[in-house]
Amino acid sequence: MISLVALVTVLTVSIGGYSQIMGAAIKYQQNHQIAMKANELANALILSTGYPLGWGQSNNTPSAFGLQDPEVGGYSLSPFSIQRLLSPQAQVYYNETDLWYSNNSLDWGGSLLVPVTNAVNYTTAAKLLGTNGSYGFQLTITPTLNISISEVDLNPLKLNVEVKGLGRALRGATLNYFLYHAIPSNYSFPSIEVFSGTNQTDSTGSAVLLFSSVDGSQYAYSIIVYASLSGLTGVGYYSRETVTNNQIIPFVENFENRTVLLAHSWDGSPATLHFNATFFILTQNFDLSRIQLANSSGLVNSGTGYPYARVQIPTQDAGILIVAYRKENDYGIVMMPWGVSTLGFPVTFGGDSSSADWVAIELRQVTVSKISYQVKLAVWSTKDFQQWGNNP
Amino acid sequence: MRTVEILMVVVVLFVAFVATSYFAVLPSSRLLSGLNLRELALSTMETLDVDRDLSRTVFSNPSDPSWTSLQMALTSSLPLNIAYNLTVYDILTSSDGVVTYRLVRSISNSQGDLGVNSDASSYVVSSSDIEYTVTPEKIGESSGENITLYILNCNDANGWWIAGYTAQSLASDLSSLLFPYFQTTILVNTTYQLGLLLNGTTLQGETLQDAVIINTFGEAVPIPAGYYTTQGYDSSRGSYAEYAHILGQRINQYNWTWVSIVGYPFYYVTNTATFSDTQNSWGIYGMEHVGAAGLNAFLRGLDSQSYSYNSQWITGSPGIVQFTWNASYYSNYYGIYPAQYQTSTRALPTSILSTYDLNVSPDSYIFQVVNNWIPGATFTHQDGGAFTAIGLTRTPDIRITALGLLQHYHPSIYKSELGASGTSRLIVLQLAQQGGI
Repeated sequence: MISLVALVTVLTVSIGGYSQIMGAAIKYQQNHQIAMKANELANALILSTGYPLGWGQSNNTPSAFGLQDPEVGGYSLSPFSIQRLLSPQAQVYYNETDLWYSNNSLDWGGSLLVPVTNAVNYTTAAKLLGTNGSYGFQLTITPTLNISISEVDLNPLKLNVEVKGLGRALRGATLNYFLYHAIPSNYSFPSIEVFSGTNQTDSTGSAVLLFSSVDGSQYAYSIIVYASLSGLTGVGYYSRETVTNNQIIPFVENFENRTVLLAHSWDGSPATLHFNATFFILTQNFDLSRIQLANSSGLVNSGTGYPYARVQIPTQDAGILIVAYRKENDYGIVMMPWGVSTLGFPVTFGGDSSSADWVAIELRQVTVSKISYQVKLAVWSTKDFQQWGNNP
Repeated sequence: MRTVEILMVVVVLFVAFVATSYFAVLPSSRLLSGLNLRELALSTMETLDVDRDLSRTVFSNPSDPSWTSLQMALTSSLPLNIAYNLTVYDILTSSDGVVTYRLVRSISNSQGDLGVNSDASSYVVSSSDIEYTVTPEKIGESSGENITLYILNCNDANGWWIAGYTAQSLASDLSSLLFPYFQTTILVNTTYQLGLLLNGTTLQGETLQDAVIINTFGEAVPIPAGYYTTQGYDSSRGSYAEYAHILGQRINQYNWTWVSIVGYPFYYVTNTATFSDTQNSWGIYGMEHVGAAGLNAFLRGLDSQSYSYNSQWITGSPGIVQFTWNASYYSNYYGIYPAQYQTSTRALPTSILSTYDLNVSPDSYIFQVVNNWIPGATFTHQDGGAFTAIGLTRTPDIRITALGLLQHYHPSIYKSELGASGTSRLIVLQLAQQGGI
């Protein structure tokens, strides 16, 4: 009897133990499959252009999903394809167009609002990638370099630029900077004064930029700084303006026609805004070259008449739309990247992994219009699966 | 006695369990899914070289300050827990062709060895004062032939077993891949144009004889309305298998090479106008089912045998198949890199070689023969005409089609080197993840 009890006990313990080992092995197999899928997805997203080529510069939904820049290839992403990805941030509604806009805007005068109807959403991307219902993913595309700009003095304007890589300061980096100063003109709209130069970061990764003829407390200014060192490149920006309400907000209207609406913010006491818009393209050697816009100046107001103005980006290249505007004696300036990388905007796209049991991560280095970015892809399973055979 | 036996069983079970537990150690989480360090290393080098900064640095003097900048850039672009070792070798070629690698310089953020769990990628760069040009030989050029490539791009036809693609997108990709190797590349945009070709009429004054025709419609084949839908229709069987027979005859007559990119060839005929109310039983309209009779009729036509209806299924399913040595060689030669292992479910039997007087040269086998099944190869008929059949399962990888054709015709690639010689360097970036489990 004792032996029988011992036998049953050992059998029970053994079955329980074996079940645990097998359970762990099954979990291992499932997680390994997710890791393989993550690698496969990373390659599909980064190393394929999607179809049709240049879908980022159209309003149509692609029939195959991929983010590679067709004109560059390799580990280079299209700034326009990324621009069309629907942001998980809260969306913005604009009553004049009766449309919702995906919000990729950042602080300090950088704005990017794209129409949700023309953005590519997560569900569509998942279907095109064949992961819908099986795997979830989240794609995070972040600039490798962090360039922060702060004011040291306002008159004359003195700015401190600090360049950091992943966790450490970047010494000896070459800085190309461009200051756009909105000032009064002979017309109702402001003119834009441009100051540019080069500098180098010191051993702490910092550099001081002095603009002896600029009073930073007056009017409005924006500065864009490109930093590069041995193939590693980043961009940072900073803006200061004297208007506190009644601002101009750019909305992308049409990717294919490259039209942008310059809308009145309709806040505070209504006032007419006189604007002057300019487009700059980023050249090979990190110079910003001005391209003339048609209908580059005008007015918008918050009442009836001119709720928004429309400008068209005159080139297929990536660049920056800079809009300086005046409200009585106050000045404002807003920048919108045409192709997210020109102002170093980060992009997050995809689902939420917070409820996922296990998440696989893939990391790659890429460039977007020559700006260094890191792509992090998180992949998880969206179902409890037990897959023993081959895929169908 | 029974008590002793049971106790022995208990001991055996216990020992077995302990032994299993001891050996059944699952890999650590990092091994299961650590960062893909190889891809990270390659993407790091590629992005640092996007403006040739990396190339300039590795060709600079080892004491040049740019090496310090490179080290700074590497440290700043890699996650903090990644240790790296970047080593640069000079590639030297002696007069008798022996290649040696001489260490130029190595930089690292780690004091010691990066360990067995590290991974590495290599990257070859050339000096900025050197320029390579690659000139492919046009197929048939050496023998004085002018071979035309036709790619079926018919806008009035539908594809099958090309899921995820359209025939038109495949045609575009194939054209991009193969046009450097052909004197003339023509997209056949309608079934009417295909009919002209079958009638012996050129589309742009090109050479018709010896041409290559790629069918991008998968298991379906476009059929021109009119003559071919009447003469190609076997009314006694209610089948368009006879159209496949005519195709085989034309292939033989004009010494064409017909290329089937995936699946069971000639399994359907397609014409969206003629078959607007007919579907292939899977909901795709504009398509008519032919079945296995199409391929049998085609092979009889290619062999100049009279038409007879034979619906016997002749392909096999060898499963996972592997590139031949020649395919791997030409994959490197032409720089086309599809996966070496594929799944074949529509492989042709070796018996067709004798039945239809076909031959496959060693260069023309794409995949190794498995149990008398030929998963992918170009079959040449002794009297003229050839048939490239890639019997893989869906979805097609058109790089295999391109590779199959190129290894069959094997045009040469002339690589020239201008400027200074011997100025290539190999960069190896080794990465290891530190800390954590």
